[in-house]
Amino acid sequence: MNLLKEEKKTSLYSEHIKLGAKMVPFGGWIMPVQYEGIIKEHNATREFAGLFDVSHMGEVYVRGKESLKYLQSIVPQDISTLEENCAIYCQLPNKDGGLIDDLIIYNVKGLEIEADYFIVINASRINDDIYFMKEEAKKFDVEVINKSDEFSMLALQGPNSKFIIQKLGVELLNQPKFFTIKKILLDDIPVLLTRTGYTGEDGFEIVFKNEYASKLWNDILSYKSTDGVVPVGLGARDTLRLEAGLPLYGHELNEKTTPIESSLGFFVPKDKKENYNGRDIILAQKLKQKPLRRKLFAFIMEDRQIARSEYEVFIEGNKVGCVTSGAPSPTLGKNIGFCMIEFQNLPADLVTRLNNTQESLGMTIQIMVRNKLYSAKLTKKPFIKKNYEK
Amino acid sequence: MNIPEGILCSKTHEWVLEEGSEVTVGLTDWAIEQLGDVVFIELPEVGSSFSKDEVFATIESVKAASEIYMPVAGEILEVNEQLINSPELINEDSYSAWLVKVKPSNYQEDTVGLMEYDDYKDEVQ
Repeated sequence: MNLLKEEKKTSLYSEHIKLGAKMVPFGGWIMPVQYEGIIKEHNATREFAGLFDVSHMGEVYVRGKESLKYLQSIVPQDISTLEENCAIYCQLPNKDGGLIDDLIIYNVKGLEIEADYFIVINASRINDDIYFMKEEAKKFDVEVINKSDEFSMLALQGPNSKFIIQKLGVELLNQPKFFTIKKILLDDIPVLLTRTGYTGEDGFEIVFKNEYASKLWNDILSYKSTDGVVPVGLGARDTLRLEAGLPLYGHELNEKTTPIESSLGFFVPKDKKENYNGRDIILAQKLKQKPLRRKLFAFIMEDRQIARSEYEVFIEGNKVGCVTSGAPSPTLGKNIGFCMIEFQNLPADLVTRLNNTQESLGMTIQIMVRNKLYSAKLTKKPFIKKNYEK
Repeated sequence: MNIPEGILCSKTHEWVLEEGSEVTVGLTDWAIEQLGDVVFIELPEVGSSFSKDEVFATIESVKAASEIYMPVAGEILEVNEQLINSPELINEDSYSAWLVKVKPSNYQEDTVGLMEYDDYKDEVQ
């Protein structure tokens, strides 16, 4: 008997093979990590456009009389002010304020699809999210439906994305604005078209039935000579999101760390009235009434060494935490990363300095790379200026 | 790219070429192809000595760091300084972009398990 779980393939698997992509396992899927090279794909996305197969990501429909009341109880964000056709970046905390996932919630009440809210979740978290969301839904008149196997998803990112979308039949003025969604015909295919992404560039995410995947993929790539669009794998997706200061679940986010500790406090409102899972600690930390147990920081290496995930971090000779993500930044030509600094067992004055944004910026840390310490400086995120069209 | 006549390759993808009393050490084209864009190479100090199969250098692609093992024991006579500032040269041709030159201490015995290039190619493919 073979108990090994086989990795799932997206509808575009054979297209990736045709393009000569290097395939790797990721979150239960077999996905392209690169086609022609990570740096080339990264730069093409920043300068022209990059096309990503993100069909591994999960899609969820929420519908029912109490769908708003339900969502208000599971995320720290205020969904009551989310207008029709608009999107909001959210987190899904457990009862202790740690994160089960991060997600984007779309209000789709005006789109005539069989949902009030459409949610996009991380591939590696689909099973955990769905189980948790369904358990929570038992208290409400609401239905949570996992649509992940029905839909494919592409991300088209970079400054030329809007021109490619235009050529595929959606005029610039008719394209969704930043963080909104439209139900529309694109390339004669019925899609949900959103102005969102994970690169720090202007761009779109496109959700549609699996059967259209190859057609849309190849039609977008046919604009390579005119608009410079190239297929982009997970390797460049990681360096792009890192430069943009965006967290990745399992690295910067986990079940033991609150959104405030993961430096997502900006996204957590102070004044939401409804109770939600983990509210006691999340809100108290947001209002500085409870101490942070740890905190995520961005850093730039001062040496040429590259800090990788799980490398140890030191301040003034003491081990204080670990790198959560690290890579060379093709845009900056420097090595960058995130690290989680544990506040337990640190001297009180050091914690005070780390908690003070002005004092922590520029602070020197050391990172252990192959048994030697190398200096890095704490810095603000994002590492690059974002180029969203708002 | 020219594969030099007479190189021997290890299962861990290093190549060696004996030239008089010196041995040049590098990484195979197949290994570099697997790594992708190389962004950093850390080389040892001239004068340091390594035993066979000891880690003597590190190569970093965008995605990951990989250790490089010494295929023949010996003393480092020279390192390819060009690679320190231009590690991407190794993506173009990993035979002209050699890593180190070594004065071997036990060449005959250390090369017993190494393969000729064609056999190595069969092994990895």
